[in-house]
Amino acid sequence: MNLVDRLKPLNTPFILVAVVLLLAVLTALVDISLLTRIITVMFVSLIMVLGLQLYMGNSGILSFAHIGFMGIGAYTSVLFSMTPTAKELSNPNLYPFLIPLHMPFLPSLLIGALVAAFIAAVVGYPLMRLSDAAAVITTFALLVIINVVLVHWDRVTNGPRTLFGVDNYTTLWTSVTFCVITIFAVYLFKESRIGLRLRATRDDAYAAASIGINMVMMRWLAFIGSAFIAGVGGALWAHFITSFSPYSFYLTETFVVLAMLVIGGPYSVSGAVVGTLVVTAAREILRAIENYVNILQVFPQGFFGFTEVVLAIVLIVILVYRPTGIMGSRELRWPQKLPKV
Amino acid sequence: MLELNNIHARYGAITALRGVSISVSQGELVALLGVNGAGKSTTLAAIAGVLRPWQGNILFEGSSIVGRSPEQIARLGISLVPEGRDIFPSLTVEENLRLGAFTRSEKTEYSRNLGEVFELFPVLKERMQQPGGTLSGGEQQQLAIARALMSSPRLLMLDEPSLGLAPALVDQIFELIARLHQRGVTILLVEQNVERSLQIVDRAYLMNTGLIENQGTPEQLRTHADIEGMYMGVRGQSNK
Amino acid sequence: MINLEFIINTLSLGSLYAMLALGLVIIYGILRLVNFAYGELIMIGGYTMFLLAGFTPLPWLVVAVLAVAVAMFTSLFTELIAFRPVREKSLTAMLITSFAVSTLLQNGALLIISPRARAVTLPQIFQTSVMIAGTSVPWRNILTIVTSVVALTLLTLLLRRTVLGIALRAAADNFTMTRMLGVPANTVISAAFAISGIMAGIVSIFWIGRSASVTPTIGAPPLLVAFVATVIGGMRSLTGAVVGGFVYAIIISLLGVLLPPDLVEFREAFMFAFVIIILLFRPQGLIRSKTSVERVG
Repeated sequence: MNLVDRLKPLNTPFILVAVVLLLAVLTALVDISLLTRIITVMFVSLIMVLGLQLYMGNSGILSFAHIGFMGIGAYTSVLFSMTPTAKELSNPNLYPFLIPLHMPFLPSLLIGALVAAFIAAVVGYPLMRLSDAAAVITTFALLVIINVVLVHWDRVTNGPRTLFGVDNYTTLWTSVTFCVITIFAVYLFKESRIGLRLRATRDDAYAAASIGINMVMMRWLAFIGSAFIAGVGGALWAHFITSFSPYSFYLTETFVVLAMLVIGGPYSVSGAVVGTLVVTAAREILRAIENYVNILQVFPQGFFGFTEVVLAIVLIVILVYRPTGIMGSRELRWPQKLPKV
Repeated sequence: MLELNNIHARYGAITALRGVSISVSQGELVALLGVNGAGKSTTLAAIAGVLRPWQGNILFEGSSIVGRSPEQIARLGISLVPEGRDIFPSLTVEENLRLGAFTRSEKTEYSRNLGEVFELFPVLKERMQQPGGTLSGGEQQQLAIARALMSSPRLLMLDEPSLGLAPALVDQIFELIARLHQRGVTILLVEQNVERSLQIVDRAYLMNTGLIENQGTPEQLRTHADIEGMYMGVRGQSNK
Repeated sequence: MINLEFIINTLSLGSLYAMLALGLVIIYGILRLVNFAYGELIMIGGYTMFLLAGFTPLPWLVVAVLAVAVAMFTSLFTELIAFRPVREKSLTAMLITSFAVSTLLQNGALLIISPRARAVTLPQIFQTSVMIAGTSVPWRNILTIVTSVVALTLLTLLLRRTVLGIALRAAADNFTMTRMLGVPANTVISAAFAISGIMAGIVSIFWIGRSASVTPTIGAPPLLVAFVATVIGGMRSLTGAVVGGFVYAIIISLLGVLLPPDLVEFREAFMFAFVIIILLFRPQGLIRSKTSVERVG
């Protein structure tokens, strides 16, 4: 059964894309700038979660390095997209040879993603042979290393200080477009031969090896793919938020993306989408509550962290009672008419 | 003493036991025989509480033990010596034995069991302070059985005790099992070595692909069961 | 610049890191769980000291003991509420849970106390030094070394002389077999979490003792150290953890002295790269221990 045959009866990506587009259209119509901001960021988050799903959902391995690649994509892309003047202004320490580099948004984004993917390829290959705890620790180590490098290599990144002056290229429709492309890409990967083989290794590594599946290679390809998507997400986010620091790509963001994926269901693309939608909605509500309590000054020292506490509790509850997430390994599917017997 | 009724069990999607029923009475030495993959170890695992059957019941001295944890089942007096021995390599022989006696808090009982263990396995006495991992295969097998005996088990289950041992040691092991039987220990033995097993057991079950195919005393099995066929994978041929 | 001061500092750091690594490995050895929430136990110890030393007249020794106790109870609590229900599911679920618990505790501190750093009142002795062989040695360092020797000795006694200790070591070898001998799983695991909490509590005293302040994120750096030290030492061996802690301290101190000034900041990156390299070539760590299936490719 080749790829086309396998894809024909499955209309999942179209459903997901329809949902995404519907949301985008509604947001554009309603035209409240706060909502537009929230939804734009949500689509970028969704891209990140999809990227993580591509690796985690298919290989079954937990990766903490994902947000690190987002950071690489962000910093690399702005190096190319910012005008020389803007670069000099925001980072006085910048290497002179980096200053004149200037490209339009799309090529910059692409370079950012490619650099992230390249680093993932080089660093990731040896990691793919590890299992369980060793794999998790090394991806965590990778996240830390990336963070340390971003924080200290101030001739490139402006160090721990905020990098500002990035152009706001990421609009609602920019993020939607990339989001739609990513949904298709991740779904295609899942159903492709690589994806199938990878999932075989997820379920039973030894059996898969015995039929000749090269698990290391499959994992590696997925790792690179997911890093590429993370790079895209990073570039998009950088050009939305227009100023950021290395700490924008560390543990909190890792937690949020992981929560979105696990709550939605890590084994399906629909899970990534559902999880992102649900968690974004929940976070906005919780943040509104947080702000409200802060305005009322109920607590003198401020009311912070409420959102994350609730999110963490929800994540733990899901892991205890429904570890496969809301979608439970299933994809959203338009009900098919069963053939008459 | 022990009764399995229609036990069905699976590992994930693979069905391992498809309706197994056996019984062991007090003081008996009963064997579960069959080729690799027949489900013998799975049966022991189900009794020991390591694997939960999704259908069927296990009765031990009248009460149901299905679904209980391994710790609870051990405390009831069921002791399993797994295939591969599973002694604790980083613990000394003495520590292995001491842990074996975990369910027994009486000091006199401990000393008595230790004495018996030393009598049956004199080599262990010499190696008391050595880490379990430094013992030879045969010594580890002795340690594993000794450890199980430290708990004064009411039912002793042995999973392929002769596996991987030199022929001289195999003799020793079977001799030992027979001796334990003489002392009155109730034993459920899983083995691939059919001939040696039939020499010492009271009764045996023949298992194949998750089912009991045949059962009876050694004489009954030798005359009526197609043991050779079971091992050769060929059916319908009579014994000599 | 390898003088007496350097040696004592490194020894003190090594003993701190050794205890740190031990607290992590004791859980990993039995459950194969890398407990991301371990760093937060240090944070909790720190906040306990902040609250008790700052707002009550209790003597500092009592405060320190209570900090250790609170860390221990928090560890037990997280085991009971978060880890026990997920234990039967899968290792990945446990790992994500530990990450969630870590986030929960961190943001809980953020919520309940404050995002800002809080100064911790330290005992006078932490600020004084003593002259040894012509060098000024902070009392703090000596106390760290002494405390860790005592703690490690007590732990060794527990592991070698008590039934619980034997059961813990057996569980690290083969958890299922330990249960089949009648040892209750919950008891063993709770004991491991308790020891982990105690280690974290002791570490928090001396970690906070260096900076005299506590923030919600103070748990992250020691957690990273514990990871590296554990990997260096071999993830399932307790002696390995101790050795790993000392090796880490030695390497990082040497790097601090030997690296050119503009690379010194990347010390941690080097350490982590070192970790990755070790895991690639020796997934079982530098210290030889029993076989384990850490490699599949």
